[in-house]
Amino acid sequence: MDRREFIKMLLAGAAGLSALNVAGKFKTGLDALADFAPDLVVAKGSRAESVVEEAVNAFGGMKRFIARGDRVLIKPNIAWDRAPQFAATTNPALVGMLVRLCLEAGAKEVFVFDRTCNDPRRCYVTTEIGKASQDAGARLVYIDESKVKECPINGNVLKNWPVLTDVLETDKIINVPIAKVHGLSKLTLGMKNWFGAIGGNRSRLHQRTEYTIPEIASLFKPTLVVLDAIRILTQNGPLGGDESYVERRNTVVVGQDQVAVDAYGTTLFGLKPQDMGFIVNANKMGLGEMDLSKLTIKTLEVA
Amino acid sequence: MKILRRISQIIFLFLFLFLLIQTEYRGRDSIAYPVKIFLELDPLVFIATLIATHKVIGGLLLCLFVVAITVTVGRIFCGWVCPLGSLHNALSFAKRKRYLNQAQGQYDSAQAVKYYVLIFLLIGALFSFQFIGIFDPLSLLIRSLSLAVFPALSFLTELTLRKNFLSFRQPYYRDAVLFGLILLGVLLVNIKRRRLWCKYICPLGTLLGLLSFCNIVKLKVNEQCNSCMSCCAVCQGGCSPNSSKDWRRQECFICFNCVKECPKKAISFGFSFTDALRPNAVDIKRRHIIQSLLGGLFIFPLLKINPSAKLESPGLIRPPGSKNEGEFLSRCIRCSECMKVCLTGGLQPVTFEAGIEGIWTPVLVPRIGYCEFNCTLCSQVCPTGAIGKISLKEKQHLKIGLAFIDKNRCLPHAFGIDCIVCEEHCPTSPKAIRFKEVRTMTEGGTEALLKQPLVDPGRCIGCGICEYKCPVIDRPAIYITSINESRSNNNVLTV
Repeated sequence: MDRREFIKMLLAGAAGLSALNVAGKFKTGLDALADFAPDLVVAKGSRAESVVEEAVNAFGGMKRFIARGDRVLIKPNIAWDRAPQFAATTNPALVGMLVRLCLEAGAKEVFVFDRTCNDPRRCYVTTEIGKASQDAGARLVYIDESKVKECPINGNVLKNWPVLTDVLETDKIINVPIAKVHGLSKLTLGMKNWFGAIGGNRSRLHQRTEYTIPEIASLFKPTLVVLDAIRILTQNGPLGGDESYVERRNTVVVGQDQVAVDAYGTTLFGLKPQDMGFIVNANKMGLGEMDLSKLTIKTLEVA
Repeated sequence: MKILRRISQIIFLFLFLFLLIQTEYRGRDSIAYPVKIFLELDPLVFIATLIATHKVIGGLLLCLFVVAITVTVGRIFCGWVCPLGSLHNALSFAKRKRYLNQAQGQYDSAQAVKYYVLIFLLIGALFSFQFIGIFDPLSLLIRSLSLAVFPALSFLTELTLRKNFLSFRQPYYRDAVLFGLILLGVLLVNIKRRRLWCKYICPLGTLLGLLSFCNIVKLKVNEQCNSCMSCCAVCQGGCSPNSSKDWRRQECFICFNCVKECPKKAISFGFSFTDALRPNAVDIKRRHIIQSLLGGLFIFPLLKINPSAKLESPGLIRPPGSKNEGEFLSRCIRCSECMKVCLTGGLQPVTFEAGIEGIWTPVLVPRIGYCEFNCTLCSQVCPTGAIGKISLKEKQHLKIGLAFIDKNRCLPHAFGIDCIVCEEHCPTSPKAIRFKEVRTMTEGGTEALLKQPLVDPGRCIGCGICEYKCPVIDRPAIYITSINESRSNNNVLTV
């Protein structure tokens, strides 16, 4: 054969081989899509650290989201002076594991903080998140509420709101809320957790929560949202205070779409995403997808 | 010996300041250090509370240690330990020696004024006017530093260095200027005469002086003395060290200044058991004592017949663990340890809301700071048990007041706007604020389901976090008043 034919043969062979290679990677049906790039990962298991680790790995691994040298903020719910078993604040072991995963993925520094409702020193200690974060290598920060920057919001109710500069000065943010009932908004999930990243008088934001929650959430683009549903609060929210108010769901939900994560979160309480005004409006604002049937959800059991 | 005395003063001053700085939440529910130990060692606090309450307060029995030392070796506390005394010395250090004259050390009959101060205060205690803490040097120093000096320093360091070294957050206290000026005044009178406070006013020094009446320390001036009076120029206590015969052991701080200063080395301290049994007469005339007593007997009853004594005061929200008001006023020495330690800065000094008797006692002002649900720090640091030590479980069931909703200001009640921030923050389980759902019209003319808050008097403990967080920040729509407080049999709302 001449040179031209040889080259054609080589190219055909290469194309054929890669086609076979790629074909081998494809499975059939929606499982294939889920394995490749799910919208949400729902992991179930009793040990918080293992569940969240497997969930993140199934979502693509922390390296998919954290680049070498990143300054990462992990934003748990540390708002209340409550011990972990009362499910008012994020599971400390879960937070610790996320810190570890970020550092392993090459983060330059991992910060953990929240603008708490009760005394911050007490909250960091009682929730055990302070110790868990520091043991895992994170830098625990006490917020200076006066260090804020006014940020614009294209909302119905809010036109702007001050955001903590400590939050703005990071490269990546991982939102780590805990799933709870709430007297006013019915549920508090990921989008409401951003209230701990802002300045100003937050009590005013409780007036039209079906708008204020998504409008505040629109200020932030989370790298990851990790919903802690290992233990959820089903009564007397958002503070709880008695173990009878807590139910074990042994679940962690991981996603990038904060509306989708919250939408899934409603199902943990036997509710529907369209029941929540803040989810409907977040969807309308284009912050994410609320229709669970349009999402690929990968579930897995962790030993 | 003078050097040893100086070292002792420095050590005790630093210990005092260290313990005061440690009077703060540091990550543990109990304070790790014995922060009230100076007050527990104070015999004046013991006596004053004994007279006012007719009770021996167990924690204060530590003062017997100081009593024993004073009875044996005199006013060594004043010279070697008292932190306020050390501060006086620190200021006088700047004064040049040549401005000191012998009048400094020669006993001055005006020094007897401090006995009248002590008598007046103890009579007051008898009528449960517990003003001893206002004049007690340890209480005065703790109060001035906690409410004025440290907060002002915090403010300065935040302003200049952008960092706070003394405390976690910037403290704010009412009447801080007054407390700062009082300490300034007490320290500035050193310009007129060295340790003027100690010689003429201090009731603790007076008490220790009385207790020194038969101590075994003796000052000896030998034949080398040429009456140059240099010893008197440097004497701190005004005890006439120039003559063994005239030396007043009840005024002497045993500071060793005279020993060091004497050019002939004629002065020395020693022990004598025989001299111990020959006490100097205390220089107060019986006439003056009777005048003091009568003065007290006249004034204090007049102050007590104010009708406010019978009326409950709504703003008088006392810290959880407080005894009922009568006993509280007898025990509280206004040292402000509780105000210093309060996590949220909500405990503030009152001026006249509790009557004259209650001046500078602590109240909770929820708009400034609420009572943190899981905290019992104030009950741990109160030296006299005015705020009795309580467990966390007890604290969480004790009521210090009750929340009331002003329906004319509350957003859901008055304007049909959703809120219930108060319900959200209520820490009890189950919550003491519930809501009822009502149908209202919004501004747009559409019907909406609104949540209106309601307080449950059975569950509300009056912690004040609702008032603190209420968005109607100029005058909160939910506010606490003292009624229904557990400590009172009278100030009760429901049956």
